[in-house]
Amino acid sequence: MTWYVLRRLAVSLLVLLGISAVVFLMLHLVSDSPGRVVLGQRASPEAVADFNREHGFDRPVVAQYVGYLGRLLHGDLGRSYKLNEDVGTLLARNAGRSAMVSLAGLVLALLIAVPLGILQAVRRNSVVDRVATAASYVLYATPSFLLGLLLIAVFSQTIPIFPAEASQSHSPWVVFTDPRAMALPVITLAVTSIAVFAQYQRSAALDQLGQDYIRVARAKGLPERLILTRHLLRNACLPLVMLVGTLVPTLLAGNLIVESLFNYPGLGLLFLNSLQREDYPVLLAYTLIGGVLTVAGNFVADVVVAAADRRIELSA
Amino acid sequence: MSTADGSANTDGVRLLTIRDLSVEIRRGDRIVRPVRGVSLALDRGETLGIVGETGSGKSMTGLAIMGMLPAGGRITAGSIDLDGRELVGLPAARYRAIRGNDVAMVFQDSMTALNPTKRIGEQVAEPVRLHRGASKPEARARAEEMLALVGLPRPAERLDDFPHQLSGGMRQRVMIAMARVCEPRLVIADEPTTALDVTVQAEILDLLDDLRSRLGMSMILVTHDMGVIARHADRVGVMYAGRVAETGPTSELFARTRHRYTQALLSSIPSLTQDRGEELFSIPGAPPDLTVVQTGCPFAPRCAGATDRCRAELPPPVTEAGGHVHSCWHPAEGPAAGNRARLVVPAPVGSEPTGSGPTGSGPTGSGPTGSGPTGSGPAGSGPTASGPRLRVVDLRREHPAGGAGLFGGRRTVKAVSGVSFEVAAGETFGLVGESGCGKSSLGRMLVALDRPTSGEVIFDGEPVTRMSARALGSRRTELQMMFQDSNASLDPRMRIGAILREPLAIQGVGTRAQRTARARELLRDVGLPASVLERYPHELSGGQRQRVGLARALALDPKVLVADEPVSALDVSIRSQVLNLMRRVQLERGLSSVVISHDLAVVRYLADRVGVMYLGKLVETGTTDEVYGSAAHPYTAGLLAAIPEADPGAPRAPAAARVRGEPPSPVDPPSGCRFRTRCALATALCAQEEPPLTPVTGTHHVACHHPLGREESRS
Repeated sequence: MTWYVLRRLAVSLLVLLGISAVVFLMLHLVSDSPGRVVLGQRASPEAVADFNREHGFDRPVVAQYVGYLGRLLHGDLGRSYKLNEDVGTLLARNAGRSAMVSLAGLVLALLIAVPLGILQAVRRNSVVDRVATAASYVLYATPSFLLGLLLIAVFSQTIPIFPAEASQSHSPWVVFTDPRAMALPVITLAVTSIAVFAQYQRSAALDQLGQDYIRVARAKGLPERLILTRHLLRNACLPLVMLVGTLVPTLLAGNLIVESLFNYPGLGLLFLNSLQREDYPVLLAYTLIGGVLTVAGNFVADVVVAAADRRIELSA
Repeated sequence: MSTADGSANTDGVRLLTIRDLSVEIRRGDRIVRPVRGVSLALDRGETLGIVGETGSGKSMTGLAIMGMLPAGGRITAGSIDLDGRELVGLPAARYRAIRGNDVAMVFQDSMTALNPTKRIGEQVAEPVRLHRGASKPEARARAEEMLALVGLPRPAERLDDFPHQLSGGMRQRVMIAMARVCEPRLVIADEPTTALDVTVQAEILDLLDDLRSRLGMSMILVTHDMGVIARHADRVGVMYAGRVAETGPTSELFARTRHRYTQALLSSIPSLTQDRGEELFSIPGAPPDLTVVQTGCPFAPRCAGATDRCRAELPPPVTEAGGHVHSCWHPAEGPAAGNRARLVVPAPVGSEPTGSGPTGSGPTGSGPTGSGPTGSGPAGSGPTASGPRLRVVDLRREHPAGGAGLFGGRRTVKAVSGVSFEVAAGETFGLVGESGCGKSSLGRMLVALDRPTSGEVIFDGEPVTRMSARALGSRRTELQMMFQDSNASLDPRMRIGAILREPLAIQGVGTRAQRTARARELLRDVGLPASVLERYPHELSGGQRQRVGLARALALDPKVLVADEPVSALDVSIRSQVLNLMRRVQLERGLSSVVISHDLAVVRYLADRVGVMYLGKLVETGTTDEVYGSAAHPYTAGLLAAIPEADPGAPRAPAAARVRGEPPSPVDPPSGCRFRTRCALATALCAQEEPPLTPVTGTHHVACHHPLGREESRS
């Protein structure tokens, strides 16, 4: 187990190294003269050249990358010239808020999707199942920005119970301290996931319901409710755990849309704004976070599944 | 209580009475009627065997008693009386109080029947907590007691194991403990040993017998295996197409078989004592479709003695002396009628050129297509008269087990560890052994689907194992394989015609029209109509698919055919059809074949010579008569002793001759003789030195320090 973790960590580091190299190179190709971006179109070529020389942007790309890695090891993610702030500080300020809203959306989605999926499996081909399946497909096909706009139109304009804009507080705990202001972003995030999760859970539960151990549980005289909670639930959730693990980085993308729609100052909004400002150090750091989340999400999912199902041995 | 019928409860001896039970299952817009008017009875302390083929309704009858019919299923008529209590129509909550408490069930596949994510102690304890309201520690103590009772070694330590940590036999013991834990009056065992090896099956069935007699429970044993019934049931119900064909005390039913179906079924089982020169009796056709309404006797379309009356009127149950009940208009007298054909054995098989079988019955050669197997075919087959067709030299195959160890020490599964044998032209070599002994790995290497770690397979003097992929390509025509699961080995999206044409097309044989003609010919050879060409695999029955599997293997006129468990997925009545076909094809074509099976009777019927495998090694080889008639290795003798013969009068092997326990892991095989850990005769020598294959007679070899024949002659 320890050996497994060490190996996984080593492999993860290699993956992250690869990601950072590719992204660094791509950004370099898009803009090989940060001085021009920072100083603007009207700056003289000499000033741009001076800036680049001063910050080392005139060196070969490999040297620049090695330098970047060296700073990265010291926790230095670079500097946003546009905002004149440390990228690390910028991210730290926004990451917590994004994480909390993503987590709230994820938990809400799971709380609804898991029981719904199991219910659909138990009552397969019933009216409940068909309606839920149809609704899932509609929601699945609905872009989240459209869903967000619809929610705003209904619950903020027609029946004004929730504000259209998310809380602007900088506290990461705003989901709990101001639930009313956060309701619409969280619901938007959750609803899009519910569709996928419920269908996934349904098919996983159907698989398990066909297994003999469910029949054995019935033959023991267990009531259906206990069969579901004691025997089915854990086995039927394992595939979903894996799915959620691989979906962790896409939560980041979900935030992108929702945060800009509800003007919520998190990582997503920071990324969008940085994109417009051509603030490459921030973009680079953001992409690296995506890589870290992908690697970490899969890793955590593997460990959780192995802990829940002892048939799986963690060995690499 | 419910003595309205008068016969339901006779002085407390009768435990279960099923009367005129009918079940239907709605599946979409089709209605299946798997059980049609079944009446059976079971006394206290007795075992009732329900025997039948797939779709006979035997399992559904068991599920109906449990009140666990599948979704869409319901009991349409009849009654189930358990100890004076009517179960049909019982409210769900009251049924639940009976399930697991008064009636319990043991399922077939213990791998899927145990929850993979729960500890076995919890699973065994669950019914006690549910029905007895026991506390957690009480239930745990009871589970430990039960696990000890079913023979699980060191039960206290095993309580916290997960199912996958136990072997198949041990898992089945846990299943039995789980069913027995509330001391039910009735245990329904649905194919409890079908997924197990024959030596383990014998132990599990003995355990069930033992528990029944010691604890006074009654049992319903649902199985397809007449041998299991003969040895372990007091009373038998033979089911066919949802009806009870015949029921009565076991000895009575086997001695005076009345129903034509039972008779045909018993005759079609290959036994260990049958004359190998005779064809197996086989029942033509396939069991009826259970969605259609039947008129007359359901067996009439397949029955040799059927008359117009059988086809028009359903035979009523007739009770004879001794409680023997049958439903047949023209009951048979006694067992097996002999309408078996003798096999025509062509004398000098080896020297015959391929493709010209001596039977004048059907053209098996390339026929009007003219092309036949072009290229390497007929020309090469002549001058190989000297030397064996297939020679296996010290073949080994290892593959990594799971992941690597910490540092370097990668563990390997030793699937095949040094096997050598020869197969002459026209000869059939049988490989028997329990699951995991490496016989299938060996089979794949014989036809070059897998490469050995070391050792060689030499075909017609050329080492196949060292050929380049390109050289192998054309040689593959001559080495073909027939697989066990024809459902999985036939591409579901290809029509049968395309499946049969494909090997010809790959080898560039003939034009498309010629290939189609060849496919039609092949189908005729395996006894299928040409209309099958346009069908998809799922439209065929299991037996038909297996015939297609054989036809495909024969398409390129191979010289060597390897058949891996060719009939183990088939029902008894279909199995004999395919076995006869294979035997005929072998004789007609002069094929060299290797038949791999766990079923000793199947191998005995098909093979001229036999090799017995244990944990990757051949422990005994010889002619079929030598190995089966005077087995020299204790393992072979144990295997033979474990097979239940379909004859209640057959002598039972003494318990000492049995092979105990389960095979050790092929990752760390025992030192010296690999069988010593399960061998009654093992001595210190066996642990130190590995016995080599040594001759007993000219053709009979055994790898044992204490071979059986010698021991006997000495005493």
